[in-house]
Amino acid sequence: MPRLEPKDLHEVVRRGTRAKVDVPIEARFAEGDAVRTRNIHPTGHTRLPRYARDKTGIIDRDHGVFVFPDTHAHGDARPQHCYSVRFPSDMLWGAAGEVGTQIYIDLWDDHLEST
Amino acid sequence: MPGYIVLGKRSRHETMVMPEHHHDHEHGSHLSDTELRVRALESLLVEKDLVNPDTLNELVDTYEHKVGPRNGARVVARSWVDPDYRRRLLDDATAAIDEFAFTGRRGEYMVAVENTPTRHNVVVCTLCSCYPWTVLGLPPVWYKSAPYRSRVVIDPRGVLNEFGVTLAENTEIRVWDSTSETRYLVIPQRPAGTDDWSQDELANLVTRDAMIGVARALTPDALARAEAAS
Amino acid sequence: MNGAHDVGGMHGFGPIDPEVDEPVFHAEWERRCFALSVAMGAYGSWNLDMSRYARETLPPGDYLTTSYYEHWLHGLQRQLVEHDFLSYDEIEQRMRTLQQASDHAET
Repeated sequence: MPRLEPKDLHEVVRRGTRAKVDVPIEARFAEGDAVRTRNIHPTGHTRLPRYARDKTGIIDRDHGVFVFPDTHAHGDARPQHCYSVRFPSDMLWGAAGEVGTQIYIDLWDDHLEST
Repeated sequence: MPGYIVLGKRSRHETMVMPEHHHDHEHGSHLSDTELRVRALESLLVEKDLVNPDTLNELVDTYEHKVGPRNGARVVARSWVDPDYRRRLLDDATAAIDEFAFTGRRGEYMVAVENTPTRHNVVVCTLCSCYPWTVLGLPPVWYKSAPYRSRVVIDPRGVLNEFGVTLAENTEIRVWDSTSETRYLVIPQRPAGTDDWSQDELANLVTRDAMIGVARALTPDALARAEAAS
Repeated sequence: MNGAHDVGGMHGFGPIDPEVDEPVFHAEWERRCFALSVAMGAYGSWNLDMSRYARETLPPGDYLTTSYYEHWLHGLQRQLVEHDFLSYDEIEQRMRTLQQASDHAET
Protein backbone atom coordinates (compact mmCIF):
# COMPACT_ATOMS: atom_id res chain seq x y z
CA MET A 1 0.00 0.00 0.00
CA PRO A 2 1.24 3.54 -0.70
CA ARG A 3 2.36 6.16 1.81
CA LEU A 4 -0.47 7.45 4.01
CA GLU A 5 -1.46 10.99 2.98
CA PRO A 6 -3.73 13.48 4.77
CA LYS A 7 -6.44 12.92 2.15
CA ASP A 8 -6.57 9.20 3.12
CA LEU A 9 -7.14 9.80 6.82
CA HIS A 10 -10.89 10.05 6.68
CA GLU A 11 -11.03 6.61 5.07
CA VAL A 12 -8.50 5.10 7.50
CA VAL A 13 -10.37 6.40 10.55
CA ARG A 14 -13.88 5.80 9.23
CA ARG A 15 -13.35 2.34 7.80
CA GLY A 16 -10.85 0.92 10.24
CA THR A 17 -9.44 -2.58 10.00
CA ARG A 18 -11.75 -5.33 8.88
CA ALA A 19 -11.04 -8.31 11.14
CA LYS A 20 -14.46 -9.80 10.39
CA VAL A 21 -14.38 -12.14 7.44
CA ASP A 22 -17.33 -12.58 5.11
CA VAL A 23 -17.03 -16.29 4.48
CA PRO A 24 -19.52 -19.01 5.44
CA ILE A 25 -17.71 -21.01 8.11
CA GLU A 26 -19.76 -23.23 10.37
CA ALA A 27 -19.84 -22.33 14.05
CA ARG A 28 -18.72 -25.16 16.36
CA PHE A 29 -20.86 -23.80 19.19
CA ALA A 30 -24.24 -22.16 19.68
CA GLU A 31 -25.59 -19.74 22.26
CA GLY A 32 -26.08 -21.51 25.57
CA ASP A 33 -23.52 -24.27 24.91
CA ALA A 34 -21.16 -25.12 27.74
CA VAL A 35 -17.52 -24.97 26.62
CA ARG A 36 -14.15 -25.61 28.19
CA THR A 37 -11.19 -23.41 27.32
CA ARG A 38 -8.02 -25.16 26.23
CA ASN A 39 -5.06 -25.30 28.55
CA ILE A 40 -2.61 -23.78 26.10
CA HIS A 41 0.66 -21.95 26.74
CA PRO A 42 1.95 -20.92 23.32
CA THR A 43 5.20 -18.96 23.09
CA GLY A 44 3.57 -16.96 20.29
CA HIS A 45 0.58 -14.61 20.49
CA THR A 46 -2.72 -15.61 22.09
CA ARG A 47 -5.91 -13.80 23.12
CA LEU A 48 -6.85 -16.49 25.63
CA PRO A 49 -5.81 -14.91 28.95
CA ARG A 50 -4.00 -17.12 31.46
CA TYR A 51 -6.73 -16.62 34.05
CA ALA A 52 -9.30 -18.19 31.73
CA ARG A 53 -7.46 -21.32 30.59
CA ASP A 54 -8.91 -24.75 31.39
CA LYS A 55 -12.17 -23.19 32.64
CA THR A 56 -15.81 -23.90 31.88
CA GLY A 57 -18.07 -21.18 30.53
CA ILE A 58 -21.24 -20.66 28.51
CA ILE A 59 -21.44 -19.28 24.97
CA ASP A 60 -23.29 -15.99 25.41
CA ARG A 61 -23.30 -14.75 21.81
CA ASP A 62 -21.69 -15.51 18.47
CA HIS A 63 -19.91 -12.45 17.04
CA GLY A 64 -19.48 -14.07 13.62
CA VAL A 65 -16.39 -15.12 11.66
CA PHE A 66 -13.15 -13.25 12.43
CA VAL A 67 -9.47 -13.79 11.72
CA PHE A 68 -7.84 -15.78 14.52
CA PRO A 69 -5.35 -13.48 16.30
CA ASP A 70 -3.24 -16.33 17.71
CA THR A 71 -2.19 -17.33 14.20
CA HIS A 72 -2.85 -14.01 12.42
CA ALA A 73 -0.06 -12.49 14.53
CA HIS A 74 2.22 -14.95 12.76
CA GLY A 75 0.85 -14.52 9.24
CA ASP A 76 -1.99 -17.06 9.07
CA ALA A 77 -5.55 -15.60 9.23
CA ARG A 78 -7.34 -18.94 9.88
CA PRO A 79 -10.86 -17.37 10.04
CA GLN A 80 -13.32 -18.89 12.53
CA HIS A 81 -16.18 -17.93 14.82
CA CYS A 82 -15.52 -15.62 17.73
CA TYR A 83 -17.88 -15.77 20.72
CA SER A 84 -18.53 -13.90 23.90
CA VAL A 85 -18.08 -16.59 26.57
CA ARG A 86 -19.54 -16.08 30.05
CA PHE A 87 -17.72 -17.34 33.15
CA PRO A 88 -19.04 -17.08 36.71
CA SER A 89 -16.49 -15.26 38.84
CA ASP A 90 -15.99 -18.23 41.20
CA MET A 91 -15.25 -20.52 38.23
CA LEU A 92 -12.24 -18.33 37.48
CA TRP A 93 -11.20 -17.31 40.98
CA GLY A 94 -12.54 -19.98 43.31
CA ALA A 95 -13.32 -18.73 46.79
CA ALA A 96 -11.89 -15.30 45.89
CA GLY A 97 -14.63 -14.87 43.29
CA GLU A 98 -17.71 -12.73 43.78
CA VAL A 99 -21.19 -14.23 43.92
CA GLY A 100 -23.37 -12.80 41.15
CA THR A 101 -20.46 -11.56 39.05
CA GLN A 102 -19.89 -12.82 35.52
CA ILE A 103 -16.79 -12.27 33.40
CA TYR A 104 -17.33 -12.17 29.63
CA ILE A 105 -14.34 -12.94 27.40
CA ASP A 106 -14.24 -12.99 23.59
CA LEU A 107 -12.77 -16.30 22.45
CA TRP A 108 -12.47 -18.18 19.17
CA ASP A 109 -13.36 -21.76 18.14
CA ASP A 110 -9.73 -22.87 18.44
CA HIS A 111 -9.65 -21.76 22.10
CA LEU A 112 -12.64 -23.92 23.00
CA GLU A 113 -13.64 -27.54 23.44
CA SER A 114 -16.99 -29.15 24.17
CA THR A 115 -17.47 -30.11 27.79
CA MET B 1 21.87 -6.04 18.10
CA PRO B 2 19.26 -5.31 20.75
CA GLY B 3 15.88 -6.89 20.11
CA TYR B 4 14.26 -4.50 22.53
CA ILE B 5 14.69 -1.04 23.85
CA VAL B 6 17.09 -0.89 26.77
CA LEU B 7 15.37 1.18 29.37
CA GLY B 8 16.98 3.62 31.71
CA LYS B 9 15.91 4.44 35.23
CA ARG B 10 12.84 6.58 35.40
CA SER B 11 10.70 8.19 38.04
CA ARG B 12 7.72 6.32 39.39
CA HIS B 13 5.40 8.70 37.56
CA GLU B 14 6.81 7.50 34.28
CA THR B 15 6.23 3.87 35.00
CA MET B 16 3.33 1.84 33.84
CA VAL B 17 2.53 0.65 37.35
CA MET B 18 1.87 4.17 38.52
CA PRO B 19 0.07 6.17 35.85
CA GLU B 20 2.26 8.80 34.28
CA HIS B 21 1.62 12.46 34.98
CA HIS B 22 3.41 15.61 34.01
CA HIS B 23 6.67 14.53 32.53
CA ASP B 24 6.80 16.79 29.56
CA HIS B 25 10.51 17.44 29.18
CA GLU B 26 11.05 18.67 25.71
CA HIS B 27 14.07 20.87 25.86
CA GLY B 28 17.81 20.62 25.60
CA SER B 29 19.87 18.17 27.57
CA HIS B 30 16.86 16.63 29.32
CA LEU B 31 16.02 14.62 26.21
CA SER B 32 15.30 11.10 27.41
CA ASP B 33 16.22 7.99 25.49
CA THR B 34 12.55 7.66 24.61
CA GLU B 35 12.25 11.20 23.25
CA LEU B 36 15.45 10.81 21.25
CA ARG B 37 14.32 7.50 19.84
CA VAL B 38 10.96 8.84 18.67
CA ARG B 39 12.67 11.85 17.10
CA ALA B 40 15.18 9.58 15.42
CA LEU B 41 12.45 7.36 13.96
CA GLU B 42 10.48 10.34 12.68
CA SER B 43 13.46 12.11 11.16
CA LEU B 44 14.66 8.94 9.41
CA LEU B 45 11.22 8.01 8.11
CA VAL B 46 10.57 11.54 6.83
CA GLU B 47 14.02 11.67 5.24
CA LYS B 48 13.31 8.41 3.41
CA ASP B 49 9.94 9.80 2.29
CA LEU B 50 8.15 7.00 4.15
CA VAL B 51 5.94 9.35 6.18
CA ASN B 52 4.43 12.71 5.39
CA PRO B 53 4.71 15.02 8.44
CA ASP B 54 1.37 16.61 7.49
CA THR B 55 -0.24 13.18 7.87
CA LEU B 56 1.25 12.83 11.36
CA ASN B 57 -0.06 16.28 12.34
CA GLU B 58 -3.54 15.49 11.08
CA LEU B 59 -3.59 12.13 12.85
CA VAL B 60 -2.71 13.81 16.13
CA ASP B 61 -5.32 16.52 15.57
CA THR B 62 -7.98 13.92 14.77
CA TYR B 63 -7.48 11.96 17.99
CA GLU B 64 -6.65 14.92 20.20
CA HIS B 65 -9.50 17.19 19.12
CA LYS B 66 -12.09 15.46 16.93
CA VAL B 67 -12.80 11.97 18.25
CA GLY B 68 -13.82 11.68 21.89
CA PRO B 69 -16.45 10.69 24.44
CA ARG B 70 -18.88 13.34 23.17
CA ASN B 71 -19.58 10.87 20.37
CA GLY B 72 -20.57 8.10 22.76
CA ALA B 73 -22.57 10.53 24.88
CA ARG B 74 -24.75 11.39 21.87
CA VAL B 75 -25.40 7.69 21.25
CA VAL B 76 -26.35 7.08 24.89
CA ALA B 77 -28.55 10.20 25.15
CA ARG B 78 -30.47 9.13 22.07
CA SER B 79 -30.98 5.66 23.57
CA TRP B 80 -32.52 7.36 26.63
CA VAL B 81 -35.13 9.29 24.68
CA ASP B 82 -35.81 7.02 21.71
CA PRO B 83 -36.96 3.48 22.63
CA ASP B 84 -36.72 2.28 19.01
CA TYR B 85 -33.13 3.47 18.84
CA ARG B 86 -32.34 1.78 22.15
CA ARG B 87 -33.65 -1.51 20.77
CA ARG B 88 -31.55 -1.14 17.63
CA LEU B 89 -28.51 -0.29 19.76
CA LEU B 90 -28.94 -3.39 21.93
CA ASP B 91 -29.69 -5.66 18.95
CA ASP B 92 -26.92 -4.46 16.63
CA ALA B 93 -24.77 -1.72 18.11
CA THR B 94 -22.50 -1.57 15.06
CA ALA B 95 -25.41 -0.60 12.79
CA ALA B 96 -27.04 1.70 15.37
CA ILE B 97 -23.79 3.58 16.11
CA ASP B 98 -23.09 3.74 12.39
CA GLU B 99 -26.26 5.84 12.07
CA PHE B 100 -24.14 8.58 13.70
CA ALA B 101 -21.11 7.59 11.55
CA PHE B 102 -19.34 6.75 14.84
CA THR B 103 -17.89 3.41 13.74
CA GLY B 104 -14.47 2.83 12.19
CA ARG B 105 -10.92 2.40 13.41
CA ARG B 106 -10.99 0.56 16.78
CA GLY B 107 -14.75 0.71 16.78
CA GLU B 108 -15.40 -1.46 13.77
CA TYR B 109 -17.59 -3.96 15.62
CA MET B 110 -19.60 -2.73 18.58
CA VAL B 111 -21.72 -4.25 21.34
CA ALA B 112 -23.75 -2.05 23.70
CA VAL B 113 -24.53 -3.35 27.20
CA GLU B 114 -27.14 -1.68 29.38
CA ASN B 115 -27.07 -1.00 33.09
CA THR B 116 -30.33 -1.60 34.93
CA PRO B 117 -31.37 -1.25 38.59
CA THR B 118 -30.16 -4.84 39.13
CA ARG B 119 -27.24 -5.14 36.71
CA HIS B 120 -23.99 -3.20 36.25
CA ASN B 121 -21.53 -3.54 33.34
CA VAL B 122 -17.86 -2.59 33.30
CA VAL B 123 -15.33 -2.90 30.48
CA VAL B 124 -11.60 -3.73 30.53
CA CYS B 125 -8.87 -5.12 28.30
CA THR B 126 -6.65 -7.27 30.51
CA LEU B 127 -4.22 -8.17 27.70
CA CYS B 128 -3.57 -4.72 26.22
CA SER B 129 -5.74 -1.62 25.95
CA CYS B 130 -8.65 -2.37 23.59
CA TYR B 131 -11.16 0.46 23.83
CA PRO B 132 -13.86 1.85 21.51
CA TRP B 133 -11.95 4.79 20.00
CA THR B 134 -14.77 5.88 17.70
CA VAL B 135 -17.17 6.61 20.55
CA LEU B 136 -14.79 7.34 23.47
CA GLY B 137 -11.56 8.57 21.85
CA LEU B 138 -8.18 7.26 23.05
CA PRO B 139 -8.21 5.57 26.47
CA PRO B 140 -7.03 7.30 29.66
CA VAL B 141 -3.79 6.13 31.29
CA TRP B 142 -5.52 4.36 34.19
CA TYR B 143 -7.51 2.19 31.75
CA LYS B 144 -4.26 1.05 30.09
CA SER B 145 -2.39 0.51 33.37
CA ALA B 146 -1.77 -2.65 35.34
CA PRO B 147 -3.68 -1.71 38.53
CA TYR B 148 -7.03 -1.47 36.71
CA ARG B 149 -6.42 -4.26 34.17
CA SER B 150 -5.30 -6.74 36.83
CA ARG B 151 -7.96 -6.04 39.44
CA VAL B 152 -11.26 -5.36 37.72
CA VAL B 153 -11.65 -8.99 36.63
CA ILE B 154 -10.97 -10.48 40.07
CA ASP B 155 -12.32 -7.71 42.32
CA PRO B 156 -14.79 -5.63 40.30
CA ARG B 157 -16.83 -4.66 43.34
CA GLY B 158 -13.74 -3.32 45.07
CA VAL B 159 -12.61 -1.44 41.97
CA LEU B 160 -16.06 0.08 41.48
CA ASN B 161 -16.09 1.12 45.14
CA GLU B 162 -12.77 2.88 44.59
CA PHE B 163 -14.34 4.80 41.72
CA GLY B 164 -17.24 5.75 43.99
CA VAL B 165 -19.78 3.31 42.57
CA THR B 166 -21.31 1.37 45.43
CA LEU B 167 -23.66 -1.35 44.29
CA ALA B 168 -26.33 -3.21 46.24
CA GLU B 169 -25.21 -6.68 47.26
CA ASN B 170 -27.65 -8.36 44.91
CA THR B 171 -26.63 -6.31 41.87
CA GLU B 172 -25.28 -8.55 39.13
CA ILE B 173 -21.91 -7.35 37.82
CA ARG B 174 -20.85 -8.14 34.26
CA VAL B 175 -17.19 -7.55 33.43
CA TRP B 176 -16.34 -7.45 29.71
CA ASP B 177 -12.74 -8.36 28.92
CA SER B 178 -12.17 -6.94 25.41
CA THR B 179 -10.01 -9.68 23.93
CA SER B 180 -11.26 -9.33 20.33
CA GLU B 181 -11.95 -6.60 17.77
CA THR B 182 -15.47 -6.28 19.19
CA ARG B 183 -15.60 -3.22 21.45
CA TYR B 184 -18.05 -2.64 24.30
CA LEU B 185 -20.01 0.48 25.19
CA VAL B 186 -21.85 0.67 28.51
CA ILE B 187 -25.24 2.41 28.43
CA PRO B 188 -25.57 3.91 31.92
CA GLN B 189 -28.95 4.38 33.55
CA ARG B 190 -30.71 7.66 32.89
CA PRO B 191 -30.53 9.80 36.04
CA ALA B 192 -33.71 10.73 37.89
CA GLY B 193 -35.08 14.24 37.51
CA THR B 194 -34.32 14.51 33.79
CA ASP B 195 -37.76 13.72 32.35
CA ASP B 196 -38.09 17.04 30.54
CA TRP B 197 -34.46 17.24 29.37
CA SER B 198 -33.68 17.32 25.66
CA GLN B 199 -31.38 14.79 24.02
CA ASP B 200 -28.58 17.38 23.77
CA GLU B 201 -28.93 18.34 27.44
CA LEU B 202 -28.91 14.69 28.47
CA ALA B 203 -25.67 14.08 26.55
CA ASN B 204 -23.93 16.43 29.01
CA LEU B 205 -24.64 13.92 31.78
CA VAL B 206 -22.91 11.04 29.99
CA THR B 207 -19.24 10.89 30.94
CA ARG B 208 -16.45 8.76 29.54
CA ASP B 209 -16.22 6.85 32.81
CA ALA B 210 -19.96 6.12 32.76
CA MET B 211 -19.55 4.53 29.32
CA ILE B 212 -16.61 2.40 30.54
CA GLY B 213 -18.77 1.43 33.51
CA VAL B 214 -16.67 2.83 36.37
CA ALA B 215 -19.12 5.65 37.07
CA ARG B 216 -22.81 6.41 36.87
CA ALA B 217 -24.11 9.12 34.60
CA LEU B 218 -23.97 12.54 36.28
CA THR B 219 -27.02 13.69 38.17
CA PRO B 220 -28.38 17.15 37.27
CA ASP B 221 -26.90 18.42 40.57
CA ALA B 222 -23.47 16.96 39.84
CA LEU B 223 -23.52 18.51 36.36
CA ALA B 224 -24.43 21.92 37.83
CA ARG B 225 -21.57 21.63 40.36
CA ALA B 226 -19.11 20.61 37.62
CA GLU B 227 -20.17 23.51 35.43
CA ALA B 228 -19.90 25.96 38.33
CA ALA B 229 -16.40 24.71 39.10
CA SER B 230 -15.11 25.08 35.55
CA MET C 1 3.00 -15.99 25.26
CA ASN C 2 2.89 -16.04 29.04
CA GLY C 3 4.13 -12.46 29.19
CA ALA C 4 3.81 -9.57 31.59
CA HIS C 5 1.03 -8.08 29.47
CA ASP C 6 -1.35 -10.82 30.64
CA VAL C 7 -2.12 -9.19 33.99
CA GLY C 8 -5.72 -10.27 34.67
CA GLY C 9 -5.98 -11.37 38.32
CA MET C 10 -2.45 -10.36 39.35
CA HIS C 11 -2.04 -8.71 42.74
CA GLY C 12 0.10 -5.91 44.07
CA PHE C 13 0.04 -3.18 41.44
CA GLY C 14 -1.36 -0.66 43.90
CA PRO C 15 -4.28 1.73 43.64
CA ILE C 16 -5.89 2.85 40.41
CA ASP C 17 -4.92 6.47 40.01
CA PRO C 18 -7.22 8.36 37.61
CA GLU C 19 -5.97 11.78 36.56
CA VAL C 20 -8.50 14.63 36.72
CA ASP C 21 -9.02 16.38 33.36
CA GLU C 22 -6.46 14.12 31.77
CA PRO C 23 -5.07 15.30 28.43
CA VAL C 24 -5.18 12.89 25.46
CA PHE C 25 -1.36 12.93 25.25
CA HIS C 26 1.11 13.76 28.04
CA ALA C 27 4.12 14.70 25.93
CA GLU C 28 4.98 15.59 22.35
CA TRP C 29 6.84 12.31 21.85
CA GLU C 30 3.61 10.43 22.66
CA ARG C 31 1.81 12.31 19.88
CA ARG C 32 4.56 11.52 17.39
CA CYS C 33 4.86 7.88 18.49
CA PHE C 34 1.11 7.37 18.13
CA ALA C 35 0.95 9.01 14.70
CA LEU C 36 4.06 7.24 13.39
CA SER C 37 2.59 3.88 14.43
CA VAL C 38 -0.65 4.55 12.57
CA ALA C 39 1.11 5.98 9.50
CA MET C 40 3.60 3.11 9.19
CA GLY C 41 0.90 0.52 9.89
CA ALA C 42 -0.94 1.81 6.82
CA TYR C 43 1.66 0.19 4.54
CA GLY C 44 0.09 -3.14 5.45
CA SER C 45 3.46 -4.79 6.14
CA TRP C 46 2.07 -6.00 9.45
CA ASN C 47 -1.39 -6.43 10.97
CA LEU C 48 -2.82 -5.38 14.33
CA ASP C 49 -2.22 -8.79 15.92
CA MET C 50 1.43 -8.64 14.87
CA SER C 51 1.66 -5.19 16.50
CA ARG C 52 0.20 -6.51 19.73
CA TYR C 53 2.63 -9.41 19.70
CA ALA C 54 5.56 -7.05 19.05
CA ARG C 55 4.59 -5.04 22.15
CA GLU C 56 4.22 -8.21 24.22
CA THR C 57 7.82 -9.18 23.48
CA LEU C 58 9.10 -6.49 25.85
CA PRO C 59 10.83 -8.37 28.68
CA PRO C 60 8.49 -8.55 31.71
CA GLY C 61 10.51 -6.19 33.89
CA ASP C 62 10.56 -3.56 31.16
CA TYR C 63 6.91 -4.05 30.25
CA LEU C 64 5.79 -3.36 33.80
CA THR C 65 8.01 -0.33 34.36
CA THR C 66 7.34 1.53 31.12
CA SER C 67 4.38 3.51 29.89
CA TYR C 68 1.83 2.66 27.25
CA TYR C 69 3.42 4.65 24.43
CA GLU C 70 6.82 3.23 25.32
CA HIS C 71 5.27 -0.18 24.59
CA TRP C 72 4.12 1.21 21.26
CA LEU C 73 7.58 2.59 20.56
CA HIS C 74 9.18 -0.76 21.29
CA GLY C 75 6.71 -2.50 18.97
CA LEU C 76 7.07 0.08 16.22
CA GLN C 77 10.85 0.00 16.27
CA ARG C 78 10.92 -3.78 16.24
CA GLN C 79 8.57 -3.93 13.26
CA LEU C 80 10.39 -1.20 11.32
CA VAL C 81 13.59 -3.18 11.67
CA GLU C 82 12.04 -6.59 10.98
CA HIS C 83 10.48 -5.26 7.78
CA ASP C 84 13.66 -3.51 6.64
CA PHE C 85 12.32 0.04 6.81
CA LEU C 86 15.17 0.96 9.19
CA SER C 87 18.12 -0.69 10.92
CA TYR C 88 19.02 -0.52 14.62
CA ASP C 89 22.39 0.94 13.63
CA GLU C 90 20.92 3.91 11.82
CA ILE C 91 18.42 4.53 14.63
CA GLU C 92 21.19 4.58 17.24
CA GLN C 93 23.35 6.75 14.99
CA ARG C 94 20.52 9.24 14.44
CA MET C 95 19.86 9.36 18.19
CA ARG C 96 23.49 10.29 18.82
CA THR C 97 23.32 12.99 16.15
CA LEU C 98 20.13 14.45 17.62
CA GLN C 99 21.60 14.40 21.15
CA GLN C 100 24.71 16.22 19.94
CA ALA C 101 22.57 18.83 18.16
CA SER C 102 20.54 19.28 21.32
CA ASP C 103 23.68 19.62 23.49
CA HIS C 104 25.05 22.15 21.01
CA ALA C 105 21.84 24.19 21.14
CA GLU C 106 22.15 24.32 24.95
CA THR C 107 25.61 25.85 25.01
